[in-house]
Amino acid sequence: MPSDGLTISTDGKTTTLQMTNVPIIDQPRWPAMDAETIPAFLDFKVVFKSTDEPVMYDDASRQYRFQGFKAAAQLEATVRVPSIDFTFKTDSLDTSKCDFAVMGTEVNGKYYEAGKG
Amino acid sequence: MTHSHVWDFHLDRRRWLRIGAASAATAWLPSIVGAQSAPQNCAIPIPRNHEPSNGGSCPYPIPWLDKNGNHNQPAGPNVELSSIYHFKGQLGRCSGFHGMGTDNKGNRLAWGTPTTDYSYMAGEYWAARQAHRAVFAHT
Repeated sequence: MPSDGLTISTDGKTTTLQMTNVPIIDQPRWPAMDAETIPAFLDFKVVFKSTDEPVMYDDASRQYRFQGFKAAAQLEATVRVPSIDFTFKTDSLDTSKCDFAVMGTEVNGKYYEAGKG
Repeated sequence: MTHSHVWDFHLDRRRWLRIGAASAATAWLPSIVGAQSAPQNCAIPIPRNHEPSNGGSCPYPIPWLDKNGNHNQPAGPNVELSSIYHFKGQLGRCSGFHGMGTDNKGNRLAWGTPTTDYSYMAGEYWAARQAHRAVFAHT
């Protein structure tokens, strides 16, 4: 795992998550109980960019609170399945779209009450 | 490209995206944002010499969601966005990616579904009666 896999800009408004050769599985017949798996690999880069629109999701009954901002997120990725000689590469990052994205801070569980302030 | 092609490919992509999800590519990224990597084996250790048992250091799942994270609950407003219970720290979550791409045979294909979901979490979680710091990615 690269040590620079997650990069957060100094102003906190841009976060880049990037990993290469992540071992994954292809499981075409999922969720069948006996669905066979095929080894595969994933490279991806996701960039979150914060907007100025604040959001807060707080549920005391479930003990979680998220405070942050709506965001734009874009993704580029490559998937490889060596055993069937298959690769798929998305177009460049700036061509992708995301329906929902947020970035911020979360407290939940035992940290929920202590995080009230 | 016909609609059926797009749909067929979406099924394939959904398969792919399940891959990422099912493989719980919840990844441990060491030495970032002041975090340290967690041990690879976080299973509950068997105590020796009558030592207390405080559980394993694996992050605790969200009690009302599946153990593998939020796969059955796409990111959205007013839902638990974390995949870990007893967590505090930075979190980014996005879902509903879509775009175009090309396979190794030159076919132009659409990708993405409402559950094409990525996230990062960087901070502190509580397990085995102590705080741990780590960074996670979920694909």
